[in-house]
Amino acid sequence: MQTTLSPSTPQAKTAKTASRLQGFWHVFRKNRTGLIGLGMLATILFTAIFAPVIAPYDSSSTSSAGISDIYNPPSAEHWLGTDDAGQDVFSNFIFGARVSLTVGFFAAFISIIIGGVFGLVAGFFGGRWENFLMRFTDIFLVIPDLPLMVVIVALTKPSLLNIIFVIGLLGWTTTARVVRSQTLAVKSKKFVLRARAIGAGKGHIVTRHILPLVMPILVVQAVLVVSLAILNESALSFLGLGDPTALSWGQMLNYAFGRGAMSTGAWWALVVPGFGIVWVVLGLTLLGQGLEKVLNPRLETHHLMPGRSPVQNEADLDVPGKGALLEVQNLSINYVNDGQPPARAVENISFTLKEGELVGLVGESGCGKTTLMLALLRLLPAAGQIVNGNVFFGGKDLVSLSDDELNDIRWSGISIIFQGAMNALNPVRPVDEQISEVIIKHLPSFPKERMQGRVIELLELVGIAADHKDHYPHQYSGGMRQRAMIAMALACNPQVVIADEPTTALDVMIQAQILELLDSLRKKLGLAVIFVTHDLGVVAEMCDRVLVMYGGVIAEYASVDVIYNDPKHPYTQELLKAFPDLTKPKKKLSSIPGYPPRLEALPAGCRFAPRCPSVFDRCHTEQPALHILADEHKVSCHLVEALK
Amino acid sequence: MNRTRAFLKKTAWSLFTIIFVIILNFFLFRVLPGDPARAGIRDPRLKKEAIEMLRVRFGLDKPVINCFESLNPIEVGSCAINPLDTQFFIYVRNLMQGELGISYHTNRPVADILAERLWNTVLLIGAGQILSIVFGVVFGIFAAWKARTSVDYAAVTTSLIAWSLPTFWLGIILLFWGSTHGFPLAGKATPGMSSMPLLQQWGDIARHMFLPTLTYTIVYMGEYTLIMRSSLMDVLSEDYILTAKAKGLSTFQILKDHALKNAMLPLVTVIAINLGFTVAGAIQIEAVFSWPGLGSAIYEAVVRRDFPILQGAFLLIAVAVILANLIADLTYNFLDPRVQTE
Repeated sequence: MQTTLSPSTPQAKTAKTASRLQGFWHVFRKNRTGLIGLGMLATILFTAIFAPVIAPYDSSSTSSAGISDIYNPPSAEHWLGTDDAGQDVFSNFIFGARVSLTVGFFAAFISIIIGGVFGLVAGFFGGRWENFLMRFTDIFLVIPDLPLMVVIVALTKPSLLNIIFVIGLLGWTTTARVVRSQTLAVKSKKFVLRARAIGAGKGHIVTRHILPLVMPILVVQAVLVVSLAILNESALSFLGLGDPTALSWGQMLNYAFGRGAMSTGAWWALVVPGFGIVWVVLGLTLLGQGLEKVLNPRLETHHLMPGRSPVQNEADLDVPGKGALLEVQNLSINYVNDGQPPARAVENISFTLKEGELVGLVGESGCGKTTLMLALLRLLPAAGQIVNGNVFFGGKDLVSLSDDELNDIRWSGISIIFQGAMNALNPVRPVDEQISEVIIKHLPSFPKERMQGRVIELLELVGIAADHKDHYPHQYSGGMRQRAMIAMALACNPQVVIADEPTTALDVMIQAQILELLDSLRKKLGLAVIFVTHDLGVVAEMCDRVLVMYGGVIAEYASVDVIYNDPKHPYTQELLKAFPDLTKPKKKLSSIPGYPPRLEALPAGCRFAPRCPSVFDRCHTEQPALHILADEHKVSCHLVEALK
Repeated sequence: MNRTRAFLKKTAWSLFTIIFVIILNFFLFRVLPGDPARAGIRDPRLKKEAIEMLRVRFGLDKPVINCFESLNPIEVGSCAINPLDTQFFIYVRNLMQGELGISYHTNRPVADILAERLWNTVLLIGAGQILSIVFGVVFGIFAAWKARTSVDYAAVTTSLIAWSLPTFWLGIILLFWGSTHGFPLAGKATPGMSSMPLLQQWGDIARHMFLPTLTYTIVYMGEYTLIMRSSLMDVLSEDYILTAKAKGLSTFQILKDHALKNAMLPLVTVIAINLGFTVAGAIQIEAVFSWPGLGSAIYEAVVRRDFPILQGAFLLIAVAVILANLIADLTYNFLDPRVQTE
């Protein structure tokens, strides 16, 4: 948010507000829902304001009405027919808009002021104020609104003013709650804390710092409150508690319904006023939804949305090499968002995994490691698309399998230990159920009576005592959850386990335990493991081969000895410099300046060129090929051309 | 241990709210300008003595409350009125004995009238709630699962329109339609039905209930659809759904075993908060279809200025909503394993 000091002359301030509004309009313009709502609201406001000009008849032209004028069907003279008093329904509808909107807006104004003040005070001052106001709000939140309104209006005079006050005085509860939680959120923001620290007055902080940030939510809330007030007014009027002299839409319906429109078949007298209410309320609702989406944009995607189907290319099929368990060939992945050029997240990655082998996948955050791993089992988010390449496993190309065939391989052939098992386990199901579930799915012939034994065996394998098996994930510690995740990954005896930064969120002791466990399990069960990590120490200790990724491409791929003792790619060299080496105690650690490239702005040449210490002209224009040196040592750098 | 404490705390808070409502209810009818004595007995032809007799009969001759001299509510102050003889304490005492006064209009005890009506309202709200929740949840699931497809857009648009419909107006339109399609127009049963076999009686009630329940279902379904949709969208973007997908579970299994329970939990709270609105809908529907429940009792009481009925009905509805809220709250605690053990 705005944190810099800005000139506070009135002109500058209005200019700032104007530009902010312009910016808002720029985004809002693209929101179809909101625009439709705004349009609907604008037409009805226009109608209400210019009612005397638009309406064909005066609002009180009853004098000439006779028996023959009552409930006349729509005609050239009366477009929407006449009502129980012989009045023109169309004209009454137009003047009714004035009454309904007046009640709606004024009542909502009262509610918003009360709710806003309560919410601000409770949120800002906290303590006793908050306690008292929120308890008070809670009470009014559970007392049913409409019956209370009915009681109060029935006991007082049913005048327009009374109705406005009653609806306004009872409709503030949700506003108070919404404003309070927003105030609480804003209050702990840095610049508010700073303003407090330099001794700004409370009034100043509330009006200058908090209110501007609460305002947008208050506006959305106001839109909602207006629509509720209009609905409440119409209900009260329909129940016979409206002002008999002010013909609102609800009042029109009350008269028509109570005075024989139903039995005369005068549908126009019943349909038209209701249509007005629906029009306004729907317009307000759509406007509110639109505003909400602009102020609070959310990515409307989830894991079950059908992803983009992979691009098939049968042309350059290589038969997988012998002894390879998993072979990835030329895999490329794009993120495709509507209206934007595709982001090339992973390009042209090939590697193999042999039985019992442990391959380390290293690189900074944002280099496409997780994207690559998710793509192996086609678990990419909806925007991700495999645009090239194959993944061979067990003689099948996972990229071209059907969903059902793939579901059989997921977990039973290749399982994943996700990073941050905190959220990777379902919080409302006990751990043992989440483990036995995969056994039931993939090993249907597994005897039911041995299920509990198997789950206990798996948990004990990762060091979780049997009596914790039916606990919920939140009852586990972070390390236990990660170990339960590992137990789950092993449940169907997979050949390949992908461990995606399995220890990132854990403290060092637990990290060491879990890594040791993984390594011993690998040796015991003969698993092949792909180990995704930032931690080069772990790689040196455990891995057989290492794949270094940078900006979505392979930087270097070699055995662990070559990577540590004879790295060829400058990125690998820089990564190793950033890592403490206990054998050379006096060595200075250095970090690589800068960040990995953003996917939407990839460099034209080598992706590491902007940060590379050995960069030369060619690097900026030409992307280096993947050069193959001896012993399956692959490097993507112009510098190694000379070595070949 | 913690669960018991939370249970007691919530129950105590509901009790406090009920006491607040009882006091509010009493003073609303004494403080607001429409003096029930004048409003209820305002026939100008009545003689002064007759009015006085009626005032005594309805207890309106007694002072509203004692002299406010001390904090002890039952101390006799300088105004020399026994507080237990004031209208407030008579009201409270009667309330304890389940007496809600006597209807101005029918001269029958309010409690009896409301007791007859309560079950009809419970029947209507119950049927409507179950149907609107079931349909809303189903539509919400489809909308979220098929997010950003035409199924989703259709469900969301329909829900927003349904939400914008004034309940009573939708009732009128459906009644209008029903009147030409042979549906009964008013009430709960056809006169003379009580001598028929039980099955036929139920069939008759069901036919009478159809339109009111349909109105109710349409109006509230939209909201439940939207809430279920957004709740399920949240759950489906959680990491554990990705885990479930990686496990090779089918879409149906993921929805059934990993998403629905998680997404339904917030719905329980929303249903509870909505109960107040629900009653508002029931009042309007009952007024349109002359369904003999609490809502039409309120509607008739307003027309006839029958204040004891109005007072009793408001109290009954408010207490019912508060208790239902409490039950929903406790149910939530029971359903969500995260609350149980924290």
